[in-house]
Formats: sequence, structure tokens, C-alpha cells
Amino acid sequence: MNPLLEMRGVTKEYRGVPVVKNVDFTLLQGEVHAILGENGAGKSTLTKIMAGVVQPTAGTLRLDGHATVFATPAIALEHGVAMVFQETTLVPSMTVAQNLFLGEERFLNRLRSIYISAQQFLQSLNFPVDPTATVASLGAAKKQMVEIARAVRHKARIIIFDEPTAALTPEEKHYFFALVERLKSRGVSIVFISHALEEALDIADRITVLRDGEHIVTDATAGFDRDKIIRAMVGRSLSGELYRRREQEQVRSAGRRVLSVQDLTMGNMVRNNSFSVYEGQITGMFGLVGSGRSETARIIAGIIKRDFFYGGEVQFEGRTVRYKVPAPAVKDGIVYVTEDRKAEGFFETMPIADNLYAGLLAKNLNAGGALVNMTEMRALADSWTQTLNIRATDKNARAVELSGGNQQKLVIGKALLQKPRLVIFDEPTRGVDVGAIGEIHQFINRIADEGLAVIMISSYLPEIMNLSDRILVFRQGRVVEEFTPGETTEEKIMYAAVH
Amino acid sequence: MMGPLRRALDRFRGAGDAAITLPPMDGTIRPNQAIEMAEVVLEIDRPDNLAFDGRRVFFSSGAAVLVLDPAQAVAEAETVATFESEVTCLAADCDGNLAVGLDDGTILFGARSREVQRISDPGGRPSCPTALLLNESALIVCHGSKERSPLAWKHDLMERNASGSVWRIDLVTGTPTRLSDGLAFPYGVVLDPGGNLAVAESWRHRIIAVPRTSDGAPLPLLDHLPGYPARLSPAAGGGYWLCIFAPRSRLVEFVLRERDFCADMFREVEPDYWIAPSLSSGRSFLEPLQGGGIKQLGILKPWAPSRSYGLLIRLDANFHPIASFHSRADGTRHGVTSCVDLGGRVLAACKGGNAIVALDPGLGSGAART
Repeated sequence: MNPLLEMRGVTKEYRGVPVVKNVDFTLLQGEVHAILGENGAGKSTLTKIMAGVVQPTAGTLRLDGHATVFATPAIALEHGVAMVFQETTLVPSMTVAQNLFLGEERFLNRLRSIYISAQQFLQSLNFPVDPTATVASLGAAKKQMVEIARAVRHKARIIIFDEPTAALTPEEKHYFFALVERLKSRGVSIVFISHALEEALDIADRITVLRDGEHIVTDATAGFDRDKIIRAMVGRSLSGELYRRREQEQVRSAGRRVLSVQDLTMGNMVRNNSFSVYEGQITGMFGLVGSGRSETARIIAGIIKRDFFYGGEVQFEGRTVRYKVPAPAVKDGIVYVTEDRKAEGFFETMPIADNLYAGLLAKNLNAGGALVNMTEMRALADSWTQTLNIRATDKNARAVELSGGNQQKLVIGKALLQKPRLVIFDEPTRGVDVGAIGEIHQFINRIADEGLAVIMISSYLPEIMNLSDRILVFRQGRVVEEFTPGETTEEKIMYAAVH
Repeated sequence: MMGPLRRALDRFRGAGDAAITLPPMDGTIRPNQAIEMAEVVLEIDRPDNLAFDGRRVFFSSGAAVLVLDPAQAVAEAETVATFESEVTCLAADCDGNLAVGLDDGTILFGARSREVQRISDPGGRPSCPTALLLNESALIVCHGSKERSPLAWKHDLMERNASGSVWRIDLVTGTPTRLSDGLAFPYGVVLDPGGNLAVAESWRHRIIAVPRTSDGAPLPLLDHLPGYPARLSPAAGGGYWLCIFAPRSRLVEFVLRERDFCADMFREVEPDYWIAPSLSSGRSFLEPLQGGGIKQLGILKPWAPSRSYGLLIRLDANFHPIASFHSRADGTRHGVTSCVDLGGRVLAACKGGNAIVALDPGLGSGAART
């Protein structure tokens, strides 16, 4: 079969640094093709070249056998190539229907007819999105649905998804995979970037693995397993290291009780929740989306408030605390490493050093006045870049230019600069490549070994099983079960989370 | 001015001191069935006050002091002495000395070389001996309350008294020295390797370090316990054992704040049926709570709110919990008031469960890591 899209010897350089090196890629009619690789492997850049977002430095691109250059995404779309980005490109202040018909407006628009058309179209895709809702009011999953609907509406023959499932709940993922199957049955070709290897193994027909901007392997999915993919991605097998099962004797013993949460309540999200956290241990928190894990952590860190009446009690190091904002919590030694690093974790246009120094400023907000000590800032940046192995093109690279894994390390560094006694990691490896996952896991283990109390919230059971010394299972806003890794199984934990 | 205002606001919104919250039983105090599954050494009515003299284990049952040989395959208890009043505390040491406290306030000291000595009442008031400790030529005595006798502990708790004290009595001269006062029912005492005293203060749910002299305030060593602490005893290999004789519950904490309700309850209800902690429960339909109604097909769930519970906590040398042994709401071995560590085997007296059980120290929550 002739390929629908063919790339030969494609190279892309930024400031003379190649990020994609001489890559060959083919996409067949009606196939789902997964592109896998660590962060910084060149996956996004390769797909951006396909969609006309960036131009290749060298190499050729053929569509239907004809050599083509897409100067802009609009031209690519005219040729039937659409891309759904990690960050949505929707206009937040406009409604869903207006976003779907953006660029096709008539001189006189009737909103009612747009809404009716949009409603019919969204229903045909089985997307439960209200066309009259403004995009700003939608959650991440629904925004993603609108993006997909827009691509499908433009009768795209090739749709490129960049991390489409990162923000979706398990139910929404199920819908998304069903949609991919429907698109495939219509003859649409799908290019799919994901860090979730199981997803690629489930839905892709072929898999291409990139490493450091180079093409490593392309093969039918049947020829891959999890370990083979990881070996291709990082050059060695990490599967056993990352997600091995911990034995009872490897579990750290509990130190002093640092945190005691008693009958914590916040509306329907957190209900009479009680648990303790000990120093020198990693307390893993598992639960389904909406089980109240993140909300509990955010109340502890002063990001959100518990109920004013009968909201329960939080005791940190034997002292009852009630934080209204995060600053006093940081001063007392509680830091929260957010799950949404792009929105809450860093200032994306600021360099690494400035971001790290912001962490220090947060701790000593009123101590050092308004003056910034540049020498201290540079020293801190050098030291923490080395400690956390943050890789960037140069020292002055902005946070936005870092890969997901390095951005996450930056957020962790910023938090740890504040010399905390309790660190709360919320989904520390979400959207992070496997190489960086290993480094982040090592780092979390190290700080627990040094005696810090660590809370780790994760939706990924192998991660919980591998890192935690205690596992607290959340359901309907409270801890319903506690396990130690050596005595439990993934099935038991999931059973407790669901029933 | 701000203090009363804040307290009023706290009462209104259920925060601060008015928050009726309890420390969770998790981590090293995670519930298990170790006490319930433990080997029963002896079934006897209300066993209490286990004391080890290096060879034999003394204990009390009602008004009698008994002894058993832990080396025997089948334990048989032998009565050593019987008193007119119920025995409330015991202490023994390797030199063959034995001290006994009675519910009528009497404290007796017996040594091999001399006659039984009656220790004079230290405060000139009805005394309430709840725990004894022999320390060379001195006897450390915990008096739970000035108002009540040891067996009337439930009254003392529900009246929110804090009139207990710790005394050091010189056994040669008989001179009493008060080490600490104003304690909320001191119920256990142990000596650390440095010679400092640690006391379990029951109604404040904590262990405190009592200064060697009368001047100086007690220092909390472990607080926010999920139950009412009883006896402390040294553990083989360092650290201590802490017995928790009853659990705390939100209902009891609430009732403790409701003085009018308590006054009515004292007047109209038998103490056995008060909404208060208990050494055993579930034996009469007249009892309150009835397991909080958490029964399915007639089976009481282990997590049911209960007035009684069995809990023994292993503490390290810094008084931090490192392991625990439980008998939960659906169990019967409740009201653990004392224990002795025989090295590789721990005997625990379940006063509410009418049994002495032998525990394997390696089987509790968190015990594998000790």
C-alpha cells in the first residue's frame, strides 16, 4: 500500500541545535500510528512539521505521493492534515459552537443556526458538550473534545494528536478511544503521541520510537511489548527499575508523626477525612478521579479552605494549623508540588534561575526585602540544576523551552528550595517521559531517606506500589483503606478504591 | 480580650478546642486482630496489674494477688494473697519486693527480709493508687484522683477531674515527696534508662515526663493518643509497651462537653450504661451505642464505633509508636490494662476480656520493621 504521508530525511534545527535528525516516517491510509519517545526526543517537532506549524531545515514531505511543503497550519488543513495540540488553541471567551465555526463566519451570522449545527455535529461524535457553553467554562477533557470535533469537521484525512489523553479521566479516555476507532473506520489516518505506553499498545496499528531526535524503530504493534518499547526509548530496560514491586523489608519504618489530619471536611469533596503522615516515609495516596486526594492535599497546603463550620483539624508537628493561603504553610515547612505544572508550577517565560529563586522568595517573603541577590540566584540555579539534572539548551533557557520532565524537575527544585519538612507531590510523573520518571522517583526516594515526610498522590498503581511505604486509598472524599506494599496487590487497592 | 472572643467563635464553628476530632488509628497504630488471635494463657475474671520479678508473673484478679510461672506449658495461677478491697495496682522487682495498692487507698509493701509495711497516705486525703513502681529504695506511686477511688475511674473521667498526682516514697524513712500534681488520672509509670519518670496521663491522652523534683512542669513525650492510656512497661531490647484500656470516640468527646447532659446521666443511669468508655461492651441490650448500629446479618463490623477496644502499643526509646496490637470492635479481648515483656513473648492482661494472652511481638502493625 502506498503511504498517505511520507517523510524522508527530515531534520529540524533550533539555533543550530538539531532536535529532529534525518528522520524517515510513513503513515498509511486508515491506520493509527503511535510516535513514542522520551520528552525531548523530537516527537512534537516531527508532528509539527507534518502539520505545517514549523518548517523542516532539511528533508522532504510527500502527501499522496506528491512533494509538499506546508507553510502554515491553515495550508496543511486545506490538504486535510489537522493537529490537536496539548494546549488547546480554542478561544476561551467564545462559545463551543463559535469555536467550531471559527474562520467560516458569514457576514451576518445567526447564532441559533450555528448552535443547532454544532449540537448535531457534536451528537454525531457522541461528545457530551453543550455548544452554547463558553470554552473557558469547560474542563480539560471537554476542551479536548471540542478540538477533536473541530479537526473532524474540517474533514481532515490525517489527524495528529499530541498527548490527547493526559488530561482525560478513565471514562473520557474510553470515549476517546472509541472515537479513534470510528475515525479509523472512516479511513482517517491518526498520528498519536502519548507517554502512556499501554494506550499505544492498545490502539495503535504501528509504533515508531524516537530517541534524541533520531528514528530508532518502526514496527507493527504486535512486534512490541512494554519492555521493548522502553528499551528503544531510553536505550536500556527501565521497566524493572521503575515499576518493580516493593517487598515488606524494603519499606521504611515510620518516624515521628508529622501530620495528623482529623475529620477534615470540605463540602462533598472531602468528608470526615482522617489520616497521619510520618517522617522518613513516602505515604502514597491512590484513588479515582474525584476521590478527594488532591483537594485534601490542597487544604493541608493552604491552597483551598476547608469548611468554616466543623471543618475538622489539621495538626502539623503537634500544632493545630489552619492555613488560609499557602505562604504560612510554606514558612512552616509544607510544600505542595502541583499536578498542573504549566498553570501553577512555574513562570513559563522566566529562566530556570529566576523560577528557582522564586521558590526561595516564597519562603522568605518578608525577610530579605524586595532586593534580589543575583549571585545567590545564580549559585542556587547552578546547584539545583546539577542536583536535579535539569537539562536545557543553555543556562538562560526559559521554563517553556524545557521538556515536560525537566519542567517537572524545575517545579520540584523550586519546592525543595524552601527547605520543607513535608512535601506533597501531586501526580509527580504525569506527562513525563520514562527517563525523567526514573530520575524523579530516585529523587523522591532520596528525600524520604533523608528523613522528610513525603505524600505522593498518583493515579498510576505501579508507581504507588513501587514508591510508597504506606498506601492510603481514597474513596468519596475520605481514606477508606490503608495497605503496605508488601502485603497488597494492585487488585486489592483498586477494589478498595471502587467498592 | 481576643482569647474569650476566639473561644466563643470556636465553639460556634466547631474549631480549635471545640473541634470534636480524634487522632486516626493508622500507620503504626493501624488496626489488626493480633490480640484477638493471640494465644490465651489464662482465662480468669478481670485480670490486671501484671508484674514480673524476673522469674514469676504476679497479677491481680479482684481482691486477690496471684502468681503464674510463664515457663510452664499449661499456665496455672496460684493465689498469693487476698485482700478486703480490690487490688488496683502492683509492682514487683528482682529482689523479691512486692508492692500492692488497693481500692480503699491502702498501699502495702512487702520485702523478703521484713514484715509487710503499710505506706501512709501521702496527701492526707482518700488516696487513689493506680500505678506503682519500685525503684531501688523508693516507691513511685501514681494517685489517679483526689475525688474518686481507682475503680470509680469512669466517674472521674466524666466529671472531667484533673486532681491526680505522682509521689516518690522513701521506703527507708517513709517520707513522701510530691513530684507532680494536677494530673488528669495518671495511670501508668515507667523509668527510662536515664532515671527519668514517664507517666501515662489518661484523661489527657498522653505520656508526660515528670520532673525528678516537685518544681518544674511535666513535658509531653507522646500526645494525641487515640485512646486512654493505662500502664507503661519496659520492652525487651529497649523501648516501652503502652496499654490503651479504652478507645476515644467522638460521641464521648461530645458528651464530655455537655455538662447538663452528664449531670442528668449521672443521676438517672447506671454507670455501666453511661455514654462513656468501658473495659468491655456488647454484653447487655441496655448499653448505649450497640456498636453504632454497624451490623450486617447480625455481625458487628470491626470498624464499628465501640465503647471498648483492645490496644497495646510498642514505643521506641523516644516514646514514638513503632508497632501495635489490637482487638477491634467485633472482638472480645478488650480493656488491656497492663502487660509484661518476657523477651520474645509479651503477656497482656485483658481486663475487659477476662483473659491473659501471650503475644508474638513480631505480629503487630508495623512490627516487622522494628
